[in-house]
Amino acid sequence: MSVHDDHWMFYFDPNRCIGCHACSVSCKQRHNRDADADDWRTVSHVSSGEYPDFREIPISMSCMHCHDAPCEQVCPPDAIIKRDEDGIVTVDRDRCIGCHYCAWACPFGAPTYDEEGLMSKCNLCLGEGPGGGHGQPKRETPEDGGTVPACVDDCVGGAIKAGPKSEIMQEVSEEAAERFEQGAYEGRVIVEPLEEDGELADSIRGGDELSIVDMAR
Amino acid sequence: MSTLISVLSTVLAAAGNSEVIWHPADYWDLSIPVYLFLAVVAGGAYLTGASACLIRSVRGKDACCLETEIARWGFLVAIAAAAGAGLAVLSHLAVIYRALLFPIYLTNFESWITIGTWILVLLSVFAVVCLVLQLFGENPATDEGASLFPRTIVAWVSPPLLETLDGLVDRVRPPMAVFAGLHLLGSFLALGTIYTGFELAIVDTVPLWNEPVIIPALFLTSGVAAGIGATLAMTMLFEREIGPVFAGYALTVSLLSAVSLALLYYGWTLLAVSDAPAAAASYAALTDGWYYIGVWLVVFSFVAPMILGLVIGLATFADRLSPTLERVGGPALIGSFGLLLVGGLVFRILLLLGAAQDPLVVIG
Repeated sequence: MSVHDDHWMFYFDPNRCIGCHACSVSCKQRHNRDADADDWRTVSHVSSGEYPDFREIPISMSCMHCHDAPCEQVCPPDAIIKRDEDGIVTVDRDRCIGCHYCAWACPFGAPTYDEEGLMSKCNLCLGEGPGGGHGQPKRETPEDGGTVPACVDDCVGGAIKAGPKSEIMQEVSEEAAERFEQGAYEGRVIVEPLEEDGELADSIRGGDELSIVDMAR
Repeated sequence: MSTLISVLSTVLAAAGNSEVIWHPADYWDLSIPVYLFLAVVAGGAYLTGASACLIRSVRGKDACCLETEIARWGFLVAIAAAAGAGLAVLSHLAVIYRALLFPIYLTNFESWITIGTWILVLLSVFAVVCLVLQLFGENPATDEGASLFPRTIVAWVSPPLLETLDGLVDRVRPPMAVFAGLHLLGSFLALGTIYTGFELAIVDTVPLWNEPVIIPALFLTSGVAAGIGATLAMTMLFEREIGPVFAGYALTVSLLSAVSLALLYYGWTLLAVSDAPAAAASYAALTDGWYYIGVWLVVFSFVAPMILGLVIGLATFADRLSPTLERVGGPALIGSFGLLLVGGLVFRILLLLGAAQDPLVVIG
């Protein structure tokens, strides 16, 4: 299964991310969520090596609105829906039973659970608040009058982009596009290669996850 | 979870890098392993009850009251376990009424939770019907046995109600062919409790669970063995004599325990040699501290009934069951069945606590 051309997806460029967390803060503001609520968009700082070869990479993540939506497949009450019209994965909180099965299925750790125990996550700013995306009309691009997702709008370095696959693919580097087509991250998100670590990138592109560990040793 | 986190940190430190993002992997509490275990125990107990009915029919006049006792205890244990499973899973959910209205809300039949809900509910209905047919009517009214205690309760609450139930059951008691069909369908549902294994096995992100053959098979064999064991233990508490029927069930538990042990060993070796970082994290967690003690408890819980069931079963069939062995063997078997129950539950708890989700590997 692959992403439909008109289905929305995220693009992330770790080379442009400065790790400022503006994306996660703006997400909470757009959706009127408490400051201490679990983040729909997280920024993790992954590091390697020791001084003076220490390196840290900030990684901004949220629900990637996967083309195969593993969360949708396991959701018993059909509360999670991968929409045909724009590919956005929404949650109908009026059906959610709060079983947390989706959290196990999600490869990105995207589902969060509030005081009510119901699931909420990024809806690509299709609507506002938990469950706000459910039942909304097809997402329009900003050129057609739609809103820009908060995380994209407020990203200081332009590291996050979102849009229909056909449009995003025109904006990414040739290498990122090639890697995406080859199935990196199982075709769920487009990520720009790190510019400073070609050896690491090549090893993982070769499909050898363990090589990360071996190289670090 | 703190132990797991510290173990994960150890794994990362050993690897010498942290170019991965670990997910919390703490989405379920301990009510889930209880649910996953009791559902299969209900299946095992139902199978015991249904098979005891079958044996009684086949043996005809040669049958003794033991088969009837085993049948009643089997259905009683099945109902109690299914109820416990239901309560355990409901206690975990955020909106209980939606789960109770499952025919309306649980509409995704690709989800093992939906499939499992139907299996567990239907199995409960079958077990209740079978138990009512065993407890009430003309024959049970003249029977004796500890498993008839629900009759005593009904008689104590309302004697006219008992008369009504006896009369009703005699009127609706189905012919043997229908009975056989009922037990056959119920047995399919009982075997269907293998769904508890599939609930975990289809989770691609957790290498510890993602074994589509081993985990469901192990859930079924260990759970059914525990269900049979629980039924036999209840029966043996009141009927100490070890006869051929009892020996047959003890041998079945022994066989299922042996298969469980083999599957456990095979799964463990697969985990130990897996290259996946999350599998390594799970292996590290399960070979550390209390979790490692738990692993050995699970192993022992399979070994004890395997050996005892084999020894006592074979001795009975070979007519070499000495009075001493019979006197000691009964309580020992009850103890081993109790251990099987504890081990089966601990096994599922370890699967939850030792679970690590595939980390997100940061691709350069």
